[in-house]
Amino acid sequence: MNEFDTDFLGGTDTLQKTDIPWDVILWNDPVSLISLVVRVIRKVFGYDKEKAERLTMAVHQEGKAVVWSGDKETAAAYCVALHGYALSATIQPTR
Amino acid sequence: MSEPFIRTPTGIAVDLVADIRSWLAESAISAAGDATSLGNPVHRRLLGPIDLTADHDDPLAELQRQFAVEGSLGVMVATAQSSELTEEEAEEWIRSLQLILAATAARMALIDEDDVAALRGHDAWSVTTLQALISLLIDALDT
Repeated sequence: MNEFDTDFLGGTDTLQKTDIPWDVILWNDPVSLISLVVRVIRKVFGYDKEKAERLTMAVHQEGKAVVWSGDKETAAAYCVALHGYALSATIQPTR
Repeated sequence: MSEPFIRTPTGIAVDLVADIRSWLAESAISAAGDATSLGNPVHRRLLGPIDLTADHDDPLAELQRQFAVEGSLGVMVATAQSSELTEEEAEEWIRSLQLILAATAARMALIDEDDVAALRGHDAWSVTTLQALISLLIDALDT
């Protein structure tokens, strides 16, 4: 086994800890228009209209919805992009 | 009544009365000021933590968010009297109108739709006017 492989195995614990998926949670708010939320979701995540509408209605009816899952850095960047349109969003480890 | 936002070959034409333009500029300045005031409900609403599992957010990310809010609202202040917006400026207007709307809701402590439905007078006018402008600008931009 070469040095690269040994390093890789030795770092397995670290990889598992840092690679835990994170969710971007979009929260309902009482003043943002549904049409605005659909538009922002499409613009930020590149989702098609149907998916954006489904997520928006989930947010509206359930109070919140997971709109994206993946690595923490990207989740944080998406969250900041949503905040740019004053939408309430947070990130948390996927449960 | 004419449409306040109309798509043109070069951007979005804006037809708003002077009072509304001044109100938007003042609201943008007010939202930017409140957003940077620690403890203000507008600060908590616009620049609250994004990672609720951490003691605090990454300071650099916090700063980037603050600059983004100030940048969007700054574009609205700078272009409030313009007769035409570029596509980029119009997108910043959408952000700004949303930021002003969220700031307004935070000041009024609006938690749910019932709170919004109970609004009367100038408070109700502010919320519905901002929502109408957002809807009309989206229609014009996405035409």
